[in-house]
Amino acid sequence: MATKLKEVDVVIVGLGWTGGILSKELAEAGLKIVALERGAMRTPESDYALPNIRDELRYVVRHDLMQNTARDTLTVRNNVSQEALPMRRLGSFLPGEVVGGSAVHWSGHTWRWTDMEFKIRSMYEDRYGKNFIPADMTIQDWGITYAELEPYYDKFEYTAAVSGKAGNIKGEIQKGGNPFEAPRAREYPLPPLKPILASQMFADAARDNGYHPFPRPSANASQAYTNPDGSKFGACQYCGYCQRFGCEANAKGSPHLTVIPIAMRNPNFELCTHAWVTRVLKDSGGKRVTGVTYTNVLNGEEFEQPAGTVLLCAYAINNVHLMLLSGIGEPYDPVTQKGVIGKNYCYQTGASARLFFEGRHFNPFMSAGGSNDTIDDFNINWNFDRGPHGFVGGYNVSGGFNTALPIGYRPVPSGTPQWGKAWKAATAKWYQTAMNISAAGTVMANRYNYYDLDPTYRNAFGQPLMRMTFDYKTNEHKIGDHAAKVINDIARSMNPTHLNPARGRSDPWTVVPYQSTHNTGGTIMGTNPRDSALNKYLQSWDCDNLFVVGANVFPHNSSYNPTGPVGALAYWTADAIKRYVKNPGPLVPA
Amino acid sequence: MNDVNCLSSLALALAIVGGTTISHAEGDATRGEKKFADCAACHSLQEGVSSVGPSLHGLFNRKAGSLAYFRYSPAMKRSGIVWTAQTLDEFLTEPQKLVPANRMPYGGISEPAERADLIAYLTQAAK
Repeated sequence: MATKLKEVDVVIVGLGWTGGILSKELAEAGLKIVALERGAMRTPESDYALPNIRDELRYVVRHDLMQNTARDTLTVRNNVSQEALPMRRLGSFLPGEVVGGSAVHWSGHTWRWTDMEFKIRSMYEDRYGKNFIPADMTIQDWGITYAELEPYYDKFEYTAAVSGKAGNIKGEIQKGGNPFEAPRAREYPLPPLKPILASQMFADAARDNGYHPFPRPSANASQAYTNPDGSKFGACQYCGYCQRFGCEANAKGSPHLTVIPIAMRNPNFELCTHAWVTRVLKDSGGKRVTGVTYTNVLNGEEFEQPAGTVLLCAYAINNVHLMLLSGIGEPYDPVTQKGVIGKNYCYQTGASARLFFEGRHFNPFMSAGGSNDTIDDFNINWNFDRGPHGFVGGYNVSGGFNTALPIGYRPVPSGTPQWGKAWKAATAKWYQTAMNISAAGTVMANRYNYYDLDPTYRNAFGQPLMRMTFDYKTNEHKIGDHAAKVINDIARSMNPTHLNPARGRSDPWTVVPYQSTHNTGGTIMGTNPRDSALNKYLQSWDCDNLFVVGANVFPHNSSYNPTGPVGALAYWTADAIKRYVKNPGPLVPA
Repeated sequence: MNDVNCLSSLALALAIVGGTTISHAEGDATRGEKKFADCAACHSLQEGVSSVGPSLHGLFNRKAGSLAYFRYSPAMKRSGIVWTAQTLDEFLTEPQKLVPANRMPYGGISEPAERADLIAYLTQAAK
């Protein structure tokens, strides 16, 4: 029997970027908050300091900081005719499981998604006609605009210490920045990171090919910085251990350095770690939520935490899972295309080439999370005509390094034996001489890519696992092929000694190896309750005192990393909740 | 061969240390306070408050690696350094050079005037 705790104003499930931002903002607004985090407390001084943090075995191979798949995982399949099987070891994506969430181990890439995403269906239909979008591509407008979100992007970038070069300030194109970006009110809080040889060589080649390279905006502080809340950052030391590691120099924009400690100093805020939320509770009418149940994973004790408002701020996949387990909203059915919970799961695609330059020394062990230059000529450049290529969306291309691991990063020319003496000789010879050019591409929503509850497998709490049904469709294959050609043209123009060329992907998606932790959709935002789970303020259409925050609200996935809009939407939702608590009810009429 | 390399790098270190000693000048504490932003994400000036780095309260004339409540690297503990304006100047020039294998993730300050400013600030603020 669960112990019933004292009611609070707000219970927050998950304490990463979104939970941290909402905890700070709402505690400062005077609300009594309990945050429930499934993972442990980790701090820079105890856990991320040198030398212990530089442990490739612990953090990369054994997935410390990540979700424990012995407790809960997903089942996966490529299509509805297959039987889904549980993913027993993390691979393709890495959800975080500590205070700070995935924002402890992210690389810091922070983008502003534009109206090309938020108004995707209307923009493509206006330009190319209704038939250009395939019938099974279930993309839709998000119900929000770039102009509405701009101040919140700004707030997130200044909180997270993003280093970059503006490309467009109030409509004026800025030299050295991304000329295709939407207008921003002001510069980034910090100048770009120092370029590295690989990023410089890529930028020069891209420019020679007529493209528009710019330094990738990243929440890796290029110099010491104090953010508007007074949180202090050290300067990035280019240590080479960014992605999958906590930052040893307090230089990576992360909630455990910024919003979470501020919330923790506020008497309105309380944090419970090791708290696994099993269900969101509804009242008898089913129109309001009343709190959550959770289990202390250290001893199995069960609790009920009543709350006036519930915020789901867990990892994107877990937020959707909780909605399905709690029976909130109608589960999506790909056959009838009725229901919304689980709809429009999307991922990421791409292509990548490896270039070898005999005699060059790239020093791959020295880089920041965002040490690369990028081109957006085939991404948010609306002048790029998709008509002849027949795809929706696009891709960004970049050259540089991010966490080329001392043990795991072993570049060799294609055709090299995969083990033995010849491999050893090749890895010694080529280690210093290689660089990558890679593309990250959009994945458009498809009616057959979705989540539901698995009929067979259960987690440690006896609840059905989430089932993911996903594969790449024709649109992704066209993007991959186009990206591979552009990458290879740039790469060949650089005259490498050897080139492992990029290839568009044609094989089915699998859970190995690591690909991208950009899982989106499942509880999508939109303009009406028929097509979406949440309104533009991320408020449930079904229960107005439930908000669901994270990349699970994206109706499709762009080529950009998701954290920019995830952070901006958290601030946007915080403002909406401050209005909501004064005047409860739907913030958008259904 | 390795021995020769070690010797030459040691000689270089001594040369740099010697150079900075000669050029050591009075710093500007106001400018130094700005430079302290480089340190502030990890080092507190309050007594007993340590985070990623140890508290700098009472730094001067303290033996390196001696705060009981902070977990120092073995390298720092056995360095034998006593923190003075001069030893700090040597250390901050290139921390891994003076105390190899110390755990401070900071590349150092190559500009002598900036070091002098920072030390001038610390002289006041780390009392």
